[in-house]
Amino acid sequence: MLNEPRIFPGRFEHIEAICDLVDRAAKIAEFDDSTSYACQLAVGEACENIICHGYKDDDNGEIEVIVRAEPGELTIELQDSARPFDPTSVPVPDVKSGMEDKVGGLGLPIIHRVMDEVEYSRHGRKNRLTLRKRCTSD
Amino acid sequence: MDISIHEYKRVGVVTVGGRIDGSTSPKLETELKELMKAGKKNIILDMSAVDFMSSSCLRVMLTTRKSLMGKGGRIVLADPSQRVTDTLDIAGIDVLFDVFPDREAAVASF
Repeated sequence: MLNEPRIFPGRFEHIEAICDLVDRAAKIAEFDDSTSYACQLAVGEACENIICHGYKDDDNGEIEVIVRAEPGELTIELQDSARPFDPTSVPVPDVKSGMEDKVGGLGLPIIHRVMDEVEYSRHGRKNRLTLRKRCTSD
Repeated sequence: MDISIHEYKRVGVVTVGGRIDGSTSPKLETELKELMKAGKKNIILDMSAVDFMSSSCLRVMLTTRKSLMGKGGRIVLADPSQRVTDTLDIAGIDVLFDVFPDREAAVASF
């Protein structure tokens, strides 16, 4: 189940299945429920970004997901073939500034707040986003 | 996502449950816009049964909040689930929404 690449259609309705994969891996990583949920939230935001800003109107795009877990550490790789986009190059807005007028742009801050490492790389014609979370139970 | 609407004299109550993400938040947005179109200036979101909430839901909540504030109204939360509380906290916008322990307390606040 884990370590093996899984391919999902790049559409909103498939994000839940990707989150389920993260939840199962978080159990292997021995994360508590709250940390597992936070990781699912971050991965869901990354997928929504790929679908909204990468694939846009392209319904045929795919998201390849690789999840690795060991006690205390969870790594999720998301790969897509949308146009090049490095989310780590975008300045993370300070959610506290201009809060009263804020209506969007919350996805990236959520990803960065939850995950310990967020790495982007380009492989051929594909974007790869690697998200890593470390958490020990003590 | 499950959603139901109850309209009272001074407030509209939207009870929403399940998963609210990019695939379901447009439905929530439509229902909230309908309530505002019907003249409701105050809205309660009963979120006790929400088990996942992405930033697309937050965007809908913030847009609604902005529209209602422009009309002198407001949107408040009733009995949010732990997942809702976690999402608001992680996004750093928890302070923007008044939270009540149950629907009755939220209704009484208007």
